[in-house]
Amino acid sequence: MNLTRSKLGFGINRSRAGIIVVVALLAILFIIGIAVSDRFGTSRNLLNIYEQSTGLALVSLGQTLAVLTGGIDLSVGSVISLVSMLTSGLISGDQSMVIPVVIGVLALGLAIGAVNGGVIILTGVHPLIVTLGTGAIIQGIALLYGLGPIGKVPKGFDYFAYGRLPGGISFGATFTMLLFLLTAFLLARTKAGRYIYATGDDPHAATLMGLPTTRIIMLVYMLTGFCSALTGVYLVSRFGVGQPYTGANYTLASITPVVVGGTMLAGGRGGVIGTLLGVYLVSLLNNLLNFLGVSTHLQLVAQGLVIIAAVSVYVEKRRIA
Amino acid sequence: MAVAKAEDGLNRSAARKSFGMGEIVKRYGIYLFLVLAILVTTAISPAFVSGSNITNMLMQLAPLAVVVIGQTFVILVRGLDLSVASVMATAAVIATSFSGQDGAALTVLFASIAMGAATGLANGLLVTKRNVSPFLATLATMIVLQGFRFAATQGAPSGNVPPIFRLLGSAKFYGVPYNLMVMLVMAAIFAMLLHKAAFGRRVFITGGNPVTARLVGISADRVIIACYMICGGLAALAGLLLSGFVGVVDNFVGRGFELDSIVAAVMGGVALSGGRGTIPGALAGAAILVVLSNAVVMIGMPVQLQIIVKGVVIIVAASLYVRTAR
Repeated sequence: MNLTRSKLGFGINRSRAGIIVVVALLAILFIIGIAVSDRFGTSRNLLNIYEQSTGLALVSLGQTLAVLTGGIDLSVGSVISLVSMLTSGLISGDQSMVIPVVIGVLALGLAIGAVNGGVIILTGVHPLIVTLGTGAIIQGIALLYGLGPIGKVPKGFDYFAYGRLPGGISFGATFTMLLFLLTAFLLARTKAGRYIYATGDDPHAATLMGLPTTRIIMLVYMLTGFCSALTGVYLVSRFGVGQPYTGANYTLASITPVVVGGTMLAGGRGGVIGTLLGVYLVSLLNNLLNFLGVSTHLQLVAQGLVIIAAVSVYVEKRRIA
Repeated sequence: MAVAKAEDGLNRSAARKSFGMGEIVKRYGIYLFLVLAILVTTAISPAFVSGSNITNMLMQLAPLAVVVIGQTFVILVRGLDLSVASVMATAAVIATSFSGQDGAALTVLFASIAMGAATGLANGLLVTKRNVSPFLATLATMIVLQGFRFAATQGAPSGNVPPIFRLLGSAKFYGVPYNLMVMLVMAAIFAMLLHKAAFGRRVFITGGNPVTARLVGISADRVIIACYMICGGLAALAGLLLSGFVGVVDNFVGRGFELDSIVAAVMGGVALSGGRGTIPGALAGAAILVVLSNAVVMIGMPVQLQIIVKGVVIIVAASLYVRTAR
């Protein structure tokens, strides 16, 4: 197995190869963009693309970690929806409630992640099925809490989404980028980070080597839950209110940047920087298609084709047959 | 069951020796659970077994069951098809794209099934020739298909479904829904194909162990591609049935069917790791989904609980199978 894999890799570290591909694609799209419109390359438009990437980036960060261990988290959309509902519903316009509620919902994200991880470990059921199940349960709870937009947030809560740093740079997007850099650093430089890769590469071998794989899996799903909760808070900041289906599209959308960025669904290869670039690629692509006057309908086709192109270039771990 | 022959001939002697609780749960658990769910719901709400409610549930079951049959083929060869709902909606849009008269029915049928099979071919080629994970390959075709559908309809499909599809999708023959008959015919054909024909044995061998498949001279790639094409074709047929059931066509006919069909198959004992599972089991899984959704309403619980119950059942059922498989 390992033999075939190293043969396929052509000696190139896959995550690095992924980054090269995404950077090349970003460059090509950028050149096309400048060629088609004068306004595309303006700092205003670029800052706009940067700002709009925040939500997808936050949720994809957590998703990358789950995928690195060979798992997947399909409950992210429901967690985002539930957290958005609770955030605006519990704050309910009261300034003094902001900090306790935000801390509370982030802790809830961690707790939901712990449940996901715990169920995966205890039952031995594939994460796809487990998180599909917990996702359904959480969506149901969100709907029990309210069937429509609920609550409101005080003035100033929109800083996360619309706040600007000096130079007009988006606060939320920059915060998110720093979170990616921190995660990349921790993945590369800490034991836990290396264990995540080892667990994803071959869980059986990792367990035999005495690595704490169960704790690693718990940690990863807790972090994924945390990132989803953060995305929920971000969406409340952006829209001003929580909605029961606000996260629904993020579940599958969060997978695209991960795989486009070179992280294999089989686990063990890839990294968060590739994902961040993947998010920028998706944002840039949508923006470019807008400039090209492509209908939003065909933008979907383009996104699907990008996924197919990306996964065809990378070639997943070779099947045995 | 006869099925076990093809499925796990190697384990047969072992299974015979230890016919304990685990074995019973593994083989018949799903049917027992179905009966139990029906009995409990009936005890709480006798209206559950009224003629009209049963017909209602059977009509809901038919389109889902048709998709589940296809999904079972794909999961048996270690795959997964997320594109089925998109194929269903596209078939529904195709159904309204012609004259809307019965004269167009055959054209609609062929065009839809060709579209479904072509989608399956694309999925199968990506999975076998490019080693793309089934999750991603079918996610991508799902999105592409959705985009084309939106572009073609400008977001608002219009036109009429030929009356014959309305009849097949929503009418009854002496109380028996036509769509149920279509489903039963499909179930019989594909259960024979899977459990009695040589192709079925190739499916089980390919899913059970692709290396063995190659060693015994089976072209695993061709078998896998065929499974995706079967799934796509059946999804298209289910889309036509569902469009006939709901009458109006929108761009999201079949929304949720991709996950429901996977869940039904898994509950019915089709292993995501491939090579294990039966069509009757998967159909029982589909029936349980329909019964539970209906039971929530009949018992008078909030509708939101439907989705929560579904989530709990998926996890419990899947963990029972993992446990008994050990």
